[in-house]
Amino acid sequence: MMLRIEHISKSFGDMKALNDVSFTVNDGQILGLIGQNGAGKSTTFHSILNFLKYQGKITWNDQVINETVFDKIGYLPEERSLMPKLTIQQQIIYLARLKNKSAKEIRPQIDLWLKRFAVKGVEKDKIKDLSKGNQQKVQLICTLIHHPKLIILDEPFSGLDPVNADLLKQAILTAKAEGAAIIFSSHDMENVEELCDKLVMLRDGQVVLKGTVHDVRQSFGRIRITVTTDWSQEQLQLLPHVIKVERQEEKRYILSLDDEDAGSEIFDQLTQGKYIEEFSQQPPTLNEIFRLKVGEAHE
Amino acid sequence: MLVIGPFLMFGITVGAGYLGGKSGGTSDEIAVISQQSQLRDGFAKANKDVVMNNVTDKKTATKKMDANKLAGYLVLKIDNNRVTGQYFGTKSLSSNLKVKVNSYLNQIQQQLNLTNAQLSKQQLQSLQQKSQLKETIQEKAGTNNLVKTISYWITVMMVYIILITYTTITAQEIASEKGTKIMEIIFSSTTAIKYFLEKIFGILLVILTQILIYLVGGWGIYIFAQNSSLTKGFLKQYNALITSVLHNILSINLLYLLLGVVIYTVLAAFSGALVAKAEDASKAAQPVIMLNLLAFFITFPFQNNLDSIIVKILSYVPFFSSYFMPMRIINNDASGMEIILSLLVLIVSIILLSMYIGKIYQGLMLQTDDSSFWKRFKRGISYNK
Repeated sequence: MMLRIEHISKSFGDMKALNDVSFTVNDGQILGLIGQNGAGKSTTFHSILNFLKYQGKITWNDQVINETVFDKIGYLPEERSLMPKLTIQQQIIYLARLKNKSAKEIRPQIDLWLKRFAVKGVEKDKIKDLSKGNQQKVQLICTLIHHPKLIILDEPFSGLDPVNADLLKQAILTAKAEGAAIIFSSHDMENVEELCDKLVMLRDGQVVLKGTVHDVRQSFGRIRITVTTDWSQEQLQLLPHVIKVERQEEKRYILSLDDEDAGSEIFDQLTQGKYIEEFSQQPPTLNEIFRLKVGEAHE
Repeated sequence: MLVIGPFLMFGITVGAGYLGGKSGGTSDEIAVISQQSQLRDGFAKANKDVVMNNVTDKKTATKKMDANKLAGYLVLKIDNNRVTGQYFGTKSLSSNLKVKVNSYLNQIQQQLNLTNAQLSKQQLQSLQQKSQLKETIQEKAGTNNLVKTISYWITVMMVYIILITYTTITAQEIASEKGTKIMEIIFSSTTAIKYFLEKIFGILLVILTQILIYLVGGWGIYIFAQNSSLTKGFLKQYNALITSVLHNILSINLLYLLLGVVIYTVLAAFSGALVAKAEDASKAAQPVIMLNLLAFFITFPFQNNLDSIIVKILSYVPFFSSYFMPMRIINNDASGMEIILSLLVLIVSIILLSMYIGKIYQGLMLQTDDSSFWKRFKRGISYNK
């Protein structure tokens, strides 16, 4: 059971929005789609949802995505938009009915979902009377209440405070445990790193990185050293193969290397056989990889 | 509010009229005074609506007139075998009442004359022979009589107002959804064509409900008017005219109204989907309103010229036929075959237009290109190609 994207391309006039994009997502897997604004993330989602005609092939469980499987899909668009005149209950039931769920089936679940997402409001409250954050949570409920098997979330964390972001993470992990295939886009690499089994990075409509989070990080080598030392930033900059030094806090620095093998030499120079509070050599974080890849595009 | 608006207006108008009549104006009732009680009772019995029965003498009548509670009083007498009536009032008798008074006086005078002449039964029958007037009206093309004119105006105004109302609502509602993410959620749940057709169907049901409420409400008002002293006389007097007008309106013309609303609503939905962004919703209905106005005003010069080829052609052209064919039907200018053909053209056009717009609807609704009308249209059509 999987979502399979095979060599899809899409142009708008002269602009190539997607260029030979391929990846797969299995049931019970979470894939993070990352990239700068305009990289092609939303166009990829629109192609999966059949809003656009594209070149290439997209199948879910070997079947083309069309109205026959719409009931099993949950989609949260990038910008939030609900029907302001409806009550919370009316809105959730309306969208669930489009997914062929009866009002009778959905109504008893609404209160539980409102509590689960800690929505400040009751079922009879009008959408327009809710705060932006609570509207966003209601929209998430609309996306998930019919227990979809394929979940597409476009920037789900944007605008959420850390507490609400944790609630969303929990909901995503629950859906994963229920066997749903989940794709979400995000600019927050910490969330991607925390939740995703796989990631795909797009740049100008092309895949520039793909794989499990672990594999992607390892592919860059252990070029990141975190160290707590009495050395100054200028002194650290003079160490062999160090290309960049970032000061994180008092005496704590991040060193970027151009060769991971230089790690032991740097360790020797810094410790000189003595105790050192912290020394850790690791692959770069997703945030650093993201910046690195974006930087390549601007060179 | 939209639906009950006309009823509220009617209620307010009737209420204001009633209150106005009660507070400011003089009464329309008259008193009848006569030494011969039979003479007085005869008239009072035949004209209960206008005769104030409890006033039987000049003094009371004058007092009531001074207090604006009586329009006047009529003194009836028989002197030397001659029946006379004399009216004293604040204003002259209405023509309708004048006719009634004259007719009553003549009737009494005739009875008196016949009694005084002491005629035989045969002579009496011979004298009671009456002349007869028969009317044969030649039917001519053109709205050349009152029924047709009234029917024409009510029909076109009804079509025009309902079309303007619903095209504006539809276009604005669809335009307000344009480019919003709720459309993406909806299109990830159902097909655009299904959503579009169901939306049109929903609007149609609202319109049908409104028409039904108007029919039931109108019938209620008609019943009320038949029993109200304010309007009873008017309705009785113009009963034939009203029946004919109702017959013209509550006919196949209602079907033209309904189908006209459907085709204009479909076009309004298309127009709404073509705006650049949701903020332009207020401009969305303009093209459809212009077309509706055009069709409405074109009917004016042709209401007395139904033989024109333009009328014949436009009664088959969708968007125009909802005005022109009812105009021809009212004037008995269209055969059954012509009506069926015109309806078929209209229905087929609605189906084809709905299918086509439903097909491109998703592209039109999802693209938010803020460029010229034609660029938006082209981009919308090619969005999912």
